[in-house]
Amino acid sequence: MIYYKEWIKTRWYLLLMFLATNGFAGYSILRLFRASELKGIAHIWEMALTRDSVFIEIPLQYIPIIACAGLALVQFIPEMHNKCLKLTLHLPYSPVKLLYSMIKFGLLACVAVEIVNIAVLLLGIIPLFAHEIYWRIILTSLPWFLAGIASYLLTSWVVLEPTWPRRIFNIVLSSLILRVYYLSSYPESYNSFLIYLSIFTLLLGSLSWLSVQRFKEGKQ
Amino acid sequence: MDHTDNIIECRNLTHYYGNRKIYENLSFNVPQGRILGLLGKNGAGKTTTINILSGYLKPHSGECLMFGQNINTMSNEMRRRIGLLIEGHVQYQFMTIQQIEKFYSAFYPEQWRRDAYYELMNMLKVAPGQKISRMSCGQRSQVALGLILAQNPELLILDDFSLGLDPGYRRLFVEYLRDYAKSENKTVFLTSHIVQDMERLIDDCIVMDYGYIMTQQSVKSLTDTFKKFTCTVPEGYSAPNKIEGLYHPFVIRNTFEAFSFLNQDKVEEILKATGVPYSNITSEKLTLEDAFIGLTGMY
Amino acid sequence: MKYFSKFFLYFIILFIAIWIIPWCYAFIHTDRSYPGLTLYSPISKNFLMVRVGESDLYRMWMSMDGKIYTREESDSLLPFFFVRQLISDGRFPDSVCGTPVNVQLVSSTNFTFYKSAYDINQNSPALYPLMESQSKRVDLEMPSDVFRITDSGIEFIEMESKDINTSKSDLFTSVLNKKGFKYPATYVNGNPTTRKDYDEGYLMLDADHKLFHMKQMVGRPYVRAVETPDSLNLELAFLTEFKSHKTLGFICDDRGNLFVLDNDYQLKQVKIGPYDPHSDQLVIYGNLLDWTVIVRKDDKHYIYAVNADDYSLITKDSIDVEDNSVFGLHFTSPKDKYVYPRF
Repeated sequence: MIYYKEWIKTRWYLLLMFLATNGFAGYSILRLFRASELKGIAHIWEMALTRDSVFIEIPLQYIPIIACAGLALVQFIPEMHNKCLKLTLHLPYSPVKLLYSMIKFGLLACVAVEIVNIAVLLLGIIPLFAHEIYWRIILTSLPWFLAGIASYLLTSWVVLEPTWPRRIFNIVLSSLILRVYYLSSYPESYNSFLIYLSIFTLLLGSLSWLSVQRFKEGKQ
Repeated sequence: MDHTDNIIECRNLTHYYGNRKIYENLSFNVPQGRILGLLGKNGAGKTTTINILSGYLKPHSGECLMFGQNINTMSNEMRRRIGLLIEGHVQYQFMTIQQIEKFYSAFYPEQWRRDAYYELMNMLKVAPGQKISRMSCGQRSQVALGLILAQNPELLILDDFSLGLDPGYRRLFVEYLRDYAKSENKTVFLTSHIVQDMERLIDDCIVMDYGYIMTQQSVKSLTDTFKKFTCTVPEGYSAPNKIEGLYHPFVIRNTFEAFSFLNQDKVEEILKATGVPYSNITSEKLTLEDAFIGLTGMY
Repeated sequence: MKYFSKFFLYFIILFIAIWIIPWCYAFIHTDRSYPGLTLYSPISKNFLMVRVGESDLYRMWMSMDGKIYTREESDSLLPFFFVRQLISDGRFPDSVCGTPVNVQLVSSTNFTFYKSAYDINQNSPALYPLMESQSKRVDLEMPSDVFRITDSGIEFIEMESKDINTSKSDLFTSVLNKKGFKYPATYVNGNPTTRKDYDEGYLMLDADHKLFHMKQMVGRPYVRAVETPDSLNLELAFLTEFKSHKTLGFICDDRGNLFVLDNDYQLKQVKIGPYDPHSDQLVIYGNLLDWTVIVRKDDKHYIYAVNADDYSLITKDSIDVEDNSVFGLHFTSPKDKYVYPRF
């Protein structure tokens, strides 16, 4: 039932997020199609094979972190407004489970939107390229999508934190953590690290509990 | 009183904000079926106490039991039995009247009383699809109250229920709540910064001064026993700051005023012993608000 | 839960600290001294090194033992390197060390070869455009297809349609099969660019690490299996396509040996010390008479002069490099294009 509340809070944003992220994905595919019409598909392949181009980094690189952070804001700012979180935590349900039901909702929403984004990308690039190239493009973009998940979890941690000094500390730490997802512009450079980075990303969800714990202790 | 009849028992609560001591060794009980108001001036620790009781502040030391269980490990069952009204009648603003009822009802399947909620909502004359964020504070207070009534808890904890309400809504709130609590034998623990409202509502009161409890008793016994004594003193007489047994002795021109739980004979004895040159002593029964001011002083 | 969250937070703080603090330190202390260009002089029979003077604009050459040369002296000592300067001064010699030289000869035999671990350690797409080596056109042209080596053959994919050109694929596969190529390939290297003088296709190492040369001549496959001793385990092969046509490629084995594949398919070892392509940088400045081979390792740069004909060692030296890499956590490395945490 907690999902019902999350749904009411986020449904319009989720629609916007779905349309905007897929719009950007579609736009980058469109640009690629136009470039292939203008310069010939062989030239595009050559760029992919010899010049390490994946074509979609602009604008898709930073879309997931913005979109997913937005979801966390839409989901948790109303909880912190007038300390509404007190009501949520007073529900006859374990506070850990309550928090992680909310986080699970947002996380699944982010993952679902990102999966559709990736599907849109794949639909766009499969007709253009051989599998070596389209998987290269998708593998290169995976750290950006993972960064989206991380930014959702980190933003939740930041928003749920009850005090401003600690919140600023959390923001600084979060930006440094997010930097880890953007350390190389070279295609497929995260391949061997992706699985560990995914585990690390999911573990970032545990931080929100610290914020809620501090809220429950009355830190202000 | 048998302690099993106490719904809330707090023992030796001590709390600090940083180095600032809020109170030390505060102990009190709230018996079953009573409506207890916590009275105190701003900063006396009312909100701190409410926050501790509702589980959103960990006291520096001491313990609180509700329904015989320590609130540090507040179980789901315990929360199910407690209705919480947070300061400003805050509720999920992004929901409508219908949505919020639907949401909460799922968490209290056995005890939820939908009718109690809609009875109150029907009085509001707002569309069921209206968002709470677009309601007045008075209307919101009715939503918050309606939800608590529908939850039908054994204990209600209300933080400053009069905040932001105009007199009409305050009266409505007080009467609805008192009627409900009395007919259903509920226990209520509340604070308000308007003492006037409390008199109609509460059975017992705890009066807090900075750092300690001045008195805990029924409103009736307080207003029966705590009196204002007025007498005439020679012009230019200045009263001592402290007189044992009397609260806030005060002289305006040739009138001496003081408050006390003692009867007139005892008060006269004290005045004589202290050497106050008094005459024409009279005593006066007080309202709760006057008694509160008498106990805590105006400053 | 609370303890795990706390522990994880402290872990992250520690993680970030040992990453960011050394990074900040390295960012502030960027004054890394790096040895300048070093070349072997066939005239003075020693290595000459560029020393950057007070101003970056003024460079002077000195020998390894500290003797400083004037500009005119260094021009003469390195006639293959300063060929344009010498010509403009009218000082270009008729012969160097008894070998007659002319401008055309020098410019066609001069080459620079650079291979860094950073370029080798990367995930590259295994698709390769195979050009026409004997095109009737003056300029090289990119083909309309690319090939991949599968577990059972070679496939040519048309870029426009993404269709596999089966007849071409079958033709090349049958020739590769005939030459004994074992699939899949372990290494494929070529220079797929039109900005080169000629095309030699690709050098490939098959599943048994045997070396093959493949190119397309008038639409037909040309495949040559290179005879190599069984004791060699070849790992990498770099197609050279230098102006001189004298070499076909540089080949590395798994024991740090460097070989030259001559245009007559003879594999000859370059008599230098160990070179690990996965962690070192290799720079070769070649000319008509000799090659200066520099192997840059972390702590030392090894400099060799080898004979340009038989690759025998003429002389060698080394320069210590100040290792001011800071201990800490790093995600990237100048030795690869991978991101993962390492110390």
